[in-house]
Amino acid sequence: MNVAPKTPTSQVPLHSEASWYEPDMPAIIAPRRPTPIRSLFAVLLILFAGSLLGITSAYLMIERDRPFLSVTIGPWSAYPEAGTSEADPYSVAIYTRSARIPLASGEGLAISARTDSSGATLNPACDYRISGQTPTARLWTLTAADNHGRLVPTLAGRTFLTSRQILRKEDGSFEITAARAPRPGNWLPLGLPRASETGADGMATAGGIGSGLMFTFRLYDAPITTGSALDGAVMPLIERLSCS
Amino acid sequence: MSLSPRLAWLTGLVATLSLAAVVHILVVLTIPQNTSHSAYADVANFGPDRQFNLLPDVQPGAEPLPALDPAMKHAACRFTLDEGPVLFTASIPVPFWSIGLFNEAGEAVYSLNNRTSGSDILSMLLLTPEQLSIIRENPPEDLDELIVLEIPATNGFALLRAFVPHAHQSREVDTALSTAFCGSLS
Repeated sequence: MNVAPKTPTSQVPLHSEASWYEPDMPAIIAPRRPTPIRSLFAVLLILFAGSLLGITSAYLMIERDRPFLSVTIGPWSAYPEAGTSEADPYSVAIYTRSARIPLASGEGLAISARTDSSGATLNPACDYRISGQTPTARLWTLTAADNHGRLVPTLAGRTFLTSRQILRKEDGSFEITAARAPRPGNWLPLGLPRASETGADGMATAGGIGSGLMFTFRLYDAPITTGSALDGAVMPLIERLSCS
Repeated sequence: MSLSPRLAWLTGLVATLSLAAVVHILVVLTIPQNTSHSAYADVANFGPDRQFNLLPDVQPGAEPLPALDPAMKHAACRFTLDEGPVLFTASIPVPFWSIGLFNEAGEAVYSLNNRTSGSDILSMLLLTPEQLSIIRENPPEDLDELIVLEIPATNGFALLRAFVPHAHQSREVDTALSTAFCGSLS
């Protein structure tokens, strides 16, 4: 027995009360059938994607570890406002999350660099020359740490240089060589890689202690503890010498 | 009500971005209230409140608190002004020392170093406005020699930093820091 082919729905005669439904109505005002399941999914998708995007962006901003209101001098940046009541919400979040205690304005100012003067990210496997002068301070220390400011064991056992230890030129400027292996003159020892974590490129795997490099000058009892005073300040150059 | 497909996509995108912005702001603003540990809480690990506790030397992998200067030695004192005014005295024979006062949120409230303190000896009295008016009525003899500080916060901590010029002076600095006084006005 042959079954007659089904008639397409569009050809079903409309009910008398649905006669307003004109198939040739413009699409924008043509009524649509409600789709509750699809709408529900759309709303859920929006909620999910929005929360995910918001949380991820907040996490990335905080993990970046760099507050907003920075004063930069070449590769060096300082956050004079971080850790005070005038701090922006990002630096408040960064500082409280890491439980770090800032250098207060009457104590000194910390100035850090994560790139060299040409803008390339610092790498603990390379040698760097830090030369020039610092802003006036009664005492300064220069520390080499990893990306997150944690100290890394070095060959010499020390991780810093101070203004009282270094040799200066006649004009008061200095030249420091930062390297893993001992160097003549002013040597700032860099952190040794941890044997278990080194990858093929000689750099420790991202995230662990010893990944990345950050130089920090801490200027103690410096007149420039406020942002505006830092405008004309001069900081040393950082040049990459060679990489192992 | 229904929207044309293109308008529906645009609305969805705008809704997603607005929600993301709201969530982002909420997360950033609530981090300080939701951190599992704060500098104020961490300082309690080094000893009892209302006395200077010497922090271990800043060594790689064993830093007592994050981002401290390895060239310095530190002592911390946690206090609550509810238990009375706090007196700080110290005499540290080094070329540079400084003290920072921080509130419970870890914000710097006051700081000075051995040059701005006026003498090489630290003597500072910390109190609330009410305690100051009580002390004014019956002032102790050496009140003129003290740096008197009114602070609005009641809980906080002080961090004393002392520069170690040479490794052989390390013990001397340790002694000076551990004999630094932080406590009630006698």
